Amino acid sequence: MAGLIASTEARGQFAAIALVRWQLFVNSLRTIRGRLEMVSRVMISLWLALGGLGGATVLGVLSYFFLTRDQGGWIAMLLWIVFLFWQLFPVMASAFAESFDSSSLLRFPLGYRSFFLMRLVYGSLDPGTALGVVWLLGIWMGISAARPLLLLPAAFVLLSFAIVNLFLARAIFAWVERWLAKRRTREIMGVLFLVFVISFQFVGPLTARFGRHRHPGIAQLAETLLPIERLLPPGLAAAGITGLWTSDWVATLGSLALLSAYAIALFWLLNLRMLALYRGENLGEAAAPAKHSREKSPALAGWDVPGVSGPIAAIVEKELRYLWRSGPMLFTLFIPMIILLIFRMTPGMTGSGTFLNAAPDFAFPVAAAYALLMLTNLVYNNFGADGAGVQLWFISPVRFRDIAGGKNLAHASIVSGEMILVWLAVSFLFRPPTIAYTVATVAAVLFVTPVNLSVGNLLSICMPKKFDFGGFGRQRPASAVAFANLLVQAVLFGLIALAYVLGRFLGGVWVTTLILLLLAALAWLGYAVTLRRIDAFALARRETLIAELSRT
Amino acid sequence: MNSPAIATQNLTRAFGQLLAVQDVNLSVAPGQFFGFLGPNGAGKSTTIRMLTGLLAPSSGRVEILGLDLSAHPVEVKRQIGVVPENMALFGRLTGAEYLNFVGRMYGLDRATAASRAAELLDFMQLADQPKALVTDYSHGMQKKLALAAAVIHGPRILFLDEPFEGVDAIASGTLKAMLQRMISRGATIFLTSHVLEIVERLSSHVAIIHRGRLVAQGSLEELRAGVEAQSAAALPNGEASSPGEKLTLEEIFLRIVGGVRLAEQELSWLG
Repeated sequence: MAGLIASTEARGQFAAIALVRWQLFVNSLRTIRGRLEMVSRVMISLWLALGGLGGATVLGVLSYFFLTRDQGGWIAMLLWIVFLFWQLFPVMASAFAESFDSSSLLRFPLGYRSFFLMRLVYGSLDPGTALGVVWLLGIWMGISAARPLLLLPAAFVLLSFAIVNLFLARAIFAWVERWLAKRRTREIMGVLFLVFVISFQFVGPLTARFGRHRHPGIAQLAETLLPIERLLPPGLAAAGITGLWTSDWVATLGSLALLSAYAIALFWLLNLRMLALYRGENLGEAAAPAKHSREKSPALAGWDVPGVSGPIAAIVEKELRYLWRSGPMLFTLFIPMIILLIFRMTPGMTGSGTFLNAAPDFAFPVAAAYALLMLTNLVYNNFGADGAGVQLWFISPVRFRDIAGGKNLAHASIVSGEMILVWLAVSFLFRPPTIAYTVATVAAVLFVTPVNLSVGNLLSICMPKKFDFGGFGRQRPASAVAFANLLVQAVLFGLIALAYVLGRFLGGVWVTTLILLLLAALAWLGYAVTLRRIDAFALARRETLIAELSRT
Repeated sequence: MNSPAIATQNLTRAFGQLLAVQDVNLSVAPGQFFGFLGPNGAGKSTTIRMLTGLLAPSSGRVEILGLDLSAHPVEVKRQIGVVPENMALFGRLTGAEYLNFVGRMYGLDRATAASRAAELLDFMQLADQPKALVTDYSHGMQKKLALAAAVIHGPRILFLDEPFEGVDAIASGTLKAMLQRMISRGATIFLTSHVLEIVERLSSHVAIIHRGRLVAQGSLEELRAGVEAQSAAALPNGEASSPGEKLTLEEIFLRIVGGVRLAEQELSWLG
């Protein structure tokens, strides 16, 4: 009876949480911003659905192909793709998904089982899990089409594999969440993660480079790694499937047993974290313990920025200090140089190298464009990192145009520094860009920067999104702003391409430069006009801005 | 003639259908320690946000030191210091950097901002951790830093929205010492609180707000002796004072927070 009551209570709690999540969603639609966010999310979901169905079809066809041609060993590769995506995507796309904060549930009389299940179920409602499941379904259908008799046993193997994936993804998330709870470890994790993501970019160039010649060392390494691969979940699931295909039931049962062992071990790891959370472990930022050193606060004066007023200099200093203290954000500034290195290392199909190796004149414009794109995250959510501090902009005796101008000056100085770094990297990795291309690129940057600053200022006021400069994956602006950003960049780069084509048609790069300089002049004029009108614009929207960024 | 430090005329703010503040007429003389008292949701924060430029009034007028806030926002803001409810701090600066920054936003030169910042950090007992970021400060330390930032430019009027909320006795003692020092030097302080005891202990003058309407206003002595409620409509139904009836500060506040009625009420399922 007690069990029945508990399960009825648990069902009620599940339903209550589902309802509150639905109500939060419906309430978010009351504002235009909320509706725009929903439209953006629907578009993202459509893309994901396309990816899911497309991926499932490809994986299904490949499974069918491999099995019917007696190349079942390749099934492992397909399962590795699903496995890596399932585990890595949720961490990479943390900004897309609203994380489910279970700490608020602890004040309710929730049994541990219900708490665990709620974390597992609601936490798994993410694109990574959804796509992983759909892709596994595709593989299952491919196997079933190849041999209909395997419909049930293959489902059993793939279900075991899916359970391992589910537990592993949740366990990774739960442990990463613990490490991300502290600012310092969060920043370290962020940088490590970026290094990890970037290292993936090197896989192509390295395989292309080493793939041309036989390297006995690599072959030996592969031979050593292969038995290990067979003991990991994707290898085991693949062995289970091929065992079914070849009627090697011992291999299948062995694989299933090991997959179950993985599932149990991962369940135990997950359980460890869940239990700690259930017992009230606080993952929030605690105040640092006071170190009563005798060291007094040094009376250090702020920065002196020549040519600007004290308040604007103070804003520039504040913005650059914020950037300096954000490991992940700082790291993104170096990504264009890393991308250039990747391009440099990648041999082309014809042996002459990649597009940039073949036409190094374009290396500087391409890298500059990439750098500008990276910086739009900063510019399109100008006030996001200010949090409740945004109120200071409205209580201080400084006009809003000076505040926006100060922030823009800081960001423009970052753009300038970034362009110098990119130029040096291009000179070192390819060859120094010609004067004509350097000037043309600078003219393009002079055109793009004010447009982005103007649009960025307006969107930052209309649709701000609070973010933590130290947290990785949380620097992105609101989804609607991200779409607007894409649109603006498409128009800007379209215009630059048009200027380039016109230049080619009319006589050379210098014509392109002239056109771009003309556009830049217009863009700066537009910037001045928007900046002049921004005081009234910001005052009219201060309530939204303050409410959104002061939210705890 | 000396103009009031703070004056409002029919100050009103509506959020959709809800009238959060309705026809509030305040007058705070220079040098007063003015307590703005009211229960949660009475309209205190909305009022202080309108007085400091954080929120636009739907109608009515705000004058600070004789200047119309909407017409001269920058001039007014130079004369005032504000500690808003959420403190307006920048978490990823150190305390010294933040105070330096705020000082310069108020037009202090670099050297003055730096020396005042150091002095304030010492006074507020925040100088022990010069390298700690504001985000790592405790709540009490953040409150002290917010107050330090509000006074760094030597404002003539200080606005404080629930400054003692969540602050321990030691931090609260430091805050009070700072406020008393400012009053002794002729500054005006406008403080909101929902705690009668805090307002009674600190303020020389008090106004009570309930459901967006001003209920009573006067010096502490006057209110302690008893005054006629200005807006009987704001008092709970059945508790409205009869014409000519005088209520003391405590009586008005108790009627507003419904202390009498709560004692009589029972909740059947609580046993």
